[in-house]
Amino acid sequence: MNKEQAWRYSTLGILLTALAAFVVIQMLRIQLSPEAKVLREQGAIYSGEWRIITPARGQIYDRWGHLLAGNRTVYEAGVDLVDVEDPTSIAFALNAIVGTEYEDAFAAASQDPASGTVYATLARFVTEEQKVRLEELAAQMENTYGDEAGDQNKSLAGLRFTPSLQRSYPEKSLASNILGFVNWEGEGFFGIEERFDEQLAGVTKYVWISRDPNKVEEQPEIPSGASLVLTIDRAMQSEVEKIVDKTITETGSESATIIVMDPRTGDILAMATSPRLDLNEFWRYGEVFEGATPFNRAVSGTYEPGSVFKVLTMASALDSDTVKPQTPFLDTGAIEVGGTVIRNWDSGAWGPQDMLGCMQHSLNVCLAWVATKVGANKFYSYMDTFGFGHLTGIDLGLENPGRLKQPGDSDWYEADLGTNAFGQGIAVTPVQMVAAISAVANDGKMMVPRIVLSIVEEGKQYNTSPQVAGMPISNETAHELTKMLATSLEIESSIALVDGYRVAGKTGTAEIPTPFGYTSSQTNASFVGWGPVDDPRFLVYVWLEKPTISPWGSVVAAPVFKEVVERIVVLMNLPPDDIRKRLLESQ
Amino acid sequence: MNRVNSLTQAYSQAPWRKQLQWIGLFLLLLIMVALVAGIYLSVTARAATIGRQVQGIYVEMEKVERNIEDLQTQLAYLTSNTVIEERAAELGFQPVNPDQMIYVEVPGYKRPEQATLGSIPGKAMPSEPVLAPEYTQSLFDWLRERVFEPAAPLLVEMRP
Repeated sequence: MNKEQAWRYSTLGILLTALAAFVVIQMLRIQLSPEAKVLREQGAIYSGEWRIITPARGQIYDRWGHLLAGNRTVYEAGVDLVDVEDPTSIAFALNAIVGTEYEDAFAAASQDPASGTVYATLARFVTEEQKVRLEELAAQMENTYGDEAGDQNKSLAGLRFTPSLQRSYPEKSLASNILGFVNWEGEGFFGIEERFDEQLAGVTKYVWISRDPNKVEEQPEIPSGASLVLTIDRAMQSEVEKIVDKTITETGSESATIIVMDPRTGDILAMATSPRLDLNEFWRYGEVFEGATPFNRAVSGTYEPGSVFKVLTMASALDSDTVKPQTPFLDTGAIEVGGTVIRNWDSGAWGPQDMLGCMQHSLNVCLAWVATKVGANKFYSYMDTFGFGHLTGIDLGLENPGRLKQPGDSDWYEADLGTNAFGQGIAVTPVQMVAAISAVANDGKMMVPRIVLSIVEEGKQYNTSPQVAGMPISNETAHELTKMLATSLEIESSIALVDGYRVAGKTGTAEIPTPFGYTSSQTNASFVGWGPVDDPRFLVYVWLEKPTISPWGSVVAAPVFKEVVERIVVLMNLPPDDIRKRLLESQ
Repeated sequence: MNRVNSLTQAYSQAPWRKQLQWIGLFLLLLIMVALVAGIYLSVTARAATIGRQVQGIYVEMEKVERNIEDLQTQLAYLTSNTVIEERAAELGFQPVNPDQMIYVEVPGYKRPEQATLGSIPGKAMPSEPVLAPEYTQSLFDWLRERVFEPAAPLLVEMRP
């Protein structure tokens, strides 16, 4: 290599080295510049996203596994502002198909992407059908006008759909008063949805999702919320709801409430009341439940029960050995308790009676006398043990404890003992009455009303156990009273009697207090009954509020009991007494 | 002196040979760097592809889960009490009255008390590991198991 060549090579080498050094220095300058920090931060923002992963809300089933509350996919419709070509068409389409306000949608879709906003929400909870219609319209516009932007071209370009799950109720209004509902934000209101909101909703997690495929990490497994199996029998609930609706129409009642319970376990098999709401249209709540109407009268509605309460007065008297079924009583038509004169429902005097006759003819005078014989302290101690003035512990939201005034309370007077004996001057809920009377139907054991049979979590089913709330009366008292009430129905040939099944029961007619006393002619009519008497499988409670065709429970509520029993024995596969006994003997 | 020079000259390499060696070494390094870069690119590209597939699978999983929820709810709508009653009425069925019922004793039959939608806790069998230990244990664990832990006896003592 001659000198000239060496010089040339050296010069080239120096130039290339200088160039390389320049590149390296420039790289270092860019990396270390203040703008680099900003760029890195921006890069970090776009490298992934923090995403809230909300598990699917747990489902609710009836006792046979029929879905009462599930989930369905709905969409959030929004626009990527950079891609929007025609905000007018987008706003028109959403207005026509989804019902979004045109002005709102147009304003959102017309935002300038340069302002930093890249996405705008136009509508939430768009259904699958609406999404498909919008997509078809978008495709139609693209076919007609092409994908070129222009003043005359119509386009839905930029419209995006983000899916999510929303509560859905396949049975619509069936058992709506028990289930409650979930609002747009996923919060449970009323009933099971409110009481078990935390368990049904599951645990929401905040997870970093990397967009860099080289940094993909395993996403944490987020289990769905717990599912619930209820004690409700769907078919029975449906039948009882039909009877409620029919009864309201036929009796002209303001409302009707019917509870069917298995007295052995406390399982609520059906709980129907009015009004009911199609839970898929929960936003109509205010329209359906006007004023202070309770969502579920069976647990939140309090009222004076009237003569059905005599069952518990007589239970306390029999259990405390104050009276026997044969104890004589001379009914003179009036009795004074604490300065208040109490009269019978017909203001008549029924003459010589025994306790069976007192219950059969529903004599207020006799039961007031019985309560005074039991004594105030003992009587209220029994009523306290029966659970009045306390929550029953049923798994439903917004349960009302009612009110039982007791000696020592500032507003209790001696006269209250006389009126409480026949169910006036006391505020109870239907579910409290059912729980208390379950003691009479279940060998003295009072059961906690149960509505949740099982909780299913991560594939495992946890069954709940029936709970005994207490034993307010003895086994013998329960049997004795059941026998008395079955006989009294049979003697008076009550319209509550059911062919083939021996049932025990009691009617109730209660006056409704006004601010000026019991001056209204309106009543609460009720009936409580259970059967078969030798092995009770059902306890039915009927409450009709302000019936107009007749004020008497024996006229309007007793036939409802009969109708309910005739339907439920079929659904329970419960044979008539003679067949059942024959089948049992053959085993 | 001349002899020393001639010997040095004889054993020293020609300049072109030295240059060739340097070029060879440079090319070897270049090939190695290219090879490593190629392998790195290939591996990262495959990892990125699989990463994208994993991302896609997660999206698909979400979609399938939503689809399952949708289908369960759709099925419930199709078999809801009202729909079933309407279908039964269309087929000519009527609600049965208690006096129309015929009860037959079926020996051994016990009506289930409720729906079973999950396994009973405590009764589930422990799940078998899907992967053999060879796929999960480290080399160190494997060596420790093979070298330090006592082997199973070859012969099992037989007792009468």
